[in-house]
Amino acid sequence: MADHTTMTTMDNEDTQKDKYLTFHLAGEDYGIEIQFVIEIIGIQAITEVPDMPTFIRGVINLRGKVIPVMDVRARFGLEDRAYDDRTCIIVVNIDGTEVGLVVDEVSEVADIPEVNVEPPPKTGRSAEGSYIQGMGKINTDVKILLDVHKLLFSGEMQEIAENMEED
Amino acid sequence: MSMQIDEDQLEIIQEFVTESRDMIEQLEPAIIELGQNSDSEVMNAIFRLFHSMKGSAGFLEFDHLTRVAHAAENLLDLIRNNEIELVPNHVTLLCDACDFAKEALEMVESDFTDESMGTAADGMAENLHQAIELAKGVETDSAVEPGANSPATSEAGIKPEPEGAADELPELEITDEMRQSFVQEGNELLQSAELGLLAWGENPEDNEAIGDIFRQIHSFKGNCGFFGFAQIEKLSHQMENILDRVKSGSQLAVDNPADQLLATLDILQQGVNNIADGKGDSITNLDQHLADLNALVAPLLGDFLVEEGVQESAIAEAVETQKKPVGEILVQQGAASLDQVDNALKKQQEKLQKAKTEAKPVSRTKTPAKRQDIRVELGKLDSLINLIGELVIAENMLINNPDLKGLELENFNKAGQHLSKLVRELQEMAMTIRMIPVSGLFRRMIRLVHDISVKAGKKVDLELIGEETEMDKTVIETITDPLVHLLRNSLDHGLEPPDERLAAGKSEKGTVKLSASHEEGEVWVTIEDNGRGLNKEKILEKAISKGLIEGDGSDMTDKQINNLIFAPGFSTAAQITDISGRGVGMDVVKKNLEKIKGKIDVSSTPGQGSKITLRIPLTLAIIDGMIVRVGTTTCIVPTLSILEAFRPEMTQITITPEGEELARVRENFFPIIRLHDILGKEPDSKELSDGILIVLEYQENRFCLFLDEILGQQQTVIKGLSDFIGNVPGVSGCTILGDGGVSLILDVGTLVESVDNKNDKAKFKE
Repeated sequence: MADHTTMTTMDNEDTQKDKYLTFHLAGEDYGIEIQFVIEIIGIQAITEVPDMPTFIRGVINLRGKVIPVMDVRARFGLEDRAYDDRTCIIVVNIDGTEVGLVVDEVSEVADIPEVNVEPPPKTGRSAEGSYIQGMGKINTDVKILLDVHKLLFSGEMQEIAENMEED
Repeated sequence: MSMQIDEDQLEIIQEFVTESRDMIEQLEPAIIELGQNSDSEVMNAIFRLFHSMKGSAGFLEFDHLTRVAHAAENLLDLIRNNEIELVPNHVTLLCDACDFAKEALEMVESDFTDESMGTAADGMAENLHQAIELAKGVETDSAVEPGANSPATSEAGIKPEPEGAADELPELEITDEMRQSFVQEGNELLQSAELGLLAWGENPEDNEAIGDIFRQIHSFKGNCGFFGFAQIEKLSHQMENILDRVKSGSQLAVDNPADQLLATLDILQQGVNNIADGKGDSITNLDQHLADLNALVAPLLGDFLVEEGVQESAIAEAVETQKKPVGEILVQQGAASLDQVDNALKKQQEKLQKAKTEAKPVSRTKTPAKRQDIRVELGKLDSLINLIGELVIAENMLINNPDLKGLELENFNKAGQHLSKLVRELQEMAMTIRMIPVSGLFRRMIRLVHDISVKAGKKVDLELIGEETEMDKTVIETITDPLVHLLRNSLDHGLEPPDERLAAGKSEKGTVKLSASHEEGEVWVTIEDNGRGLNKEKILEKAISKGLIEGDGSDMTDKQINNLIFAPGFSTAAQITDISGRGVGMDVVKKNLEKIKGKIDVSSTPGQGSKITLRIPLTLAIIDGMIVRVGTTTCIVPTLSILEAFRPEMTQITITPEGEELARVRENFFPIIRLHDILGKEPDSKELSDGILIVLEYQENRFCLFLDEILGQQQTVIKGLSDFIGNVPGVSGCTILGDGGVSLILDVGTLVESVDNKNDKAKFKE
């Protein structure tokens, strides 16, 4: 029984392994592991929530579920840009927490085998440095592969979580 | 039991654990009640509960649990037969037995065995036996039957009292009431056994079904033994044996034993009916029936017979005969003619019909219509309720769909209205599903009150009022701890010791009233005692020394002073004893109440007692909300907190030197909170006279909320903001509006605090 379940999850992981959803943000290409992605939806009305960090834009109604939305541009401290019809919300799920990520444009699902992934640059002093999981190479293109967990939970969000625990 | 647990067994054990827990829950209040007035009904109820527990535990081979239950049963039996007198110590012992059982059940739940409880069980059983010996020694100097309290029991010893003791005891008198309840219970057990047998007949592989039937018959047998209906007992015992064989997997002689077993059930039913008619328990042809049953296990019986020198062919023939109905066999044997059998069958049918129709009304008059309950996993219920919440939203989105604007759609509207009505009903139904009566919670308090009053040496009467009031299950779980704390406080500090009460001209016994009722769209749970009440001076003194209030508190109302006991920092044990008690665990009370959006009212009259009311909203899932607008944003304000709304005139507004805005409403001044400041939005106008002020109340605090416009009122399905976001001050959750947009629900409680904090900060800066 137990063996069987591990087999199936392994199968799943196998088919999702090395696959990344790539998207466009301020002239760069980024990728996140496909296993975290639930769905991609167009931009829609976001209800603001008071007292949130600026990159938490608010909450949206995803078929009856209320999920928070994070603007990845704002998260990286990049300049704001008006949402247009190419703006997408990538809904990710990490350990049961669903969050929408606002990105400029979603490109494709790319296969990047492990051998083509370089470790993140060590120098990174910029804010986004800490969210990088590696640099993926597809031929001559480079995709910045993001660590979704850190993207969601490190920094200010961590503080919020800690504050909550204190409460 | 060799502990190879398969899933079936696991399920049986889990069921046993839940069942037994229920029993203990019933047991505790009953035992306490028994201690107060030895009512024979209560006595029998307790006895039966212990007995059933023993039976089930024995069946699952939880020997230690069985042993203790049996010892308790022995003690009870002696008391019941007036052989020994009930002393308070017995009540404590029985309570201890319950505690032991609880512990054992926990063990069983985690380890599937009660083996580790051996020593505890020995101690417990020993205590019970000693109590018996002791009491007996006092009661009768003469010969004590040692057999009467021998711990050695076998399953066969299911009869509560060993025969040996019987002759010196007065015969247990079976009252009509007892008989009726036996008949009712018997009917139920046999009916469910019948259903089980039918199901099993169709699916013989179903071992769980057999386990169920076995337990039904086993309980039935126990009841028969208890009432001394020897013949039925014998037959049911035989049936139990056979079921046991089936359960252990041995083959039966016939292809479809279910039929024969059903026939036996009918006979048992007939016996019960006879008892219902007051005819005693004799079963005609008992031996024949027993033999019939025995034949079912022919292979084993055959072995014996062969040993006895019976020819195997004869046995085979007997087996063959056994497949035929009783009547046919009799005819074949020449013991009865065909006509006789036919007549007998007809009579049996008539008798059965008659007895059934007669028996029913009897059982009905005895007990009110029995609730039929099924156990459902809470998770399933929750997802059902979530789904219905979704449905309410979907319905709203459909009916108020923007695409429909300006269209004349008569039929659509009709269908829409119908749908709305159904959805509303469904929603109400879903809410009631989660509601359970508070009686379970209240009854648990009986034990608590008993324990504390014994420990504190006080005499207390606990009155329970409104036990049937229904509340959300989660709410009940949340208020359990607060109730414990409040009761403990009432007993420990509120009620005076007997001599002090007498000196104060009160009755020696204190009273604590625990009541629940529906009031103003809320459930009120009230704990009222007639003790010494709160000591205001000391509370004030403490509050002033702690810097919780400014000035000497002379401008505070009694209510405000009483509420100070919930103030943080007021609840450490050392201080509590100084201020007439109240305060232990009060933070728990407050925190838990806040969790369910409840409120606490405290009132107290010195020397007369105090009263604490927990006011809890009926449901947590749906609230009545007022939709309000600021700029482009809409929010929901819980309608229950709104006192009034008005368009202010500048003359009503006062601005303090600190810059705080106050609105005068008749004789009172309330601080103003601007909603656009909280949400960080741009309003239509910042002029107070251009917008609306609504007066909100939260636990005696009132303030005004400034906003642009009130849009309307709506039933709002509450959804939590994502855990990712966490707690947002001023916001308790959100909801989805008819147009699919998300709207925040304002949390009046934290808004009040934000006013306070602002003031505090302002003061701090000075």
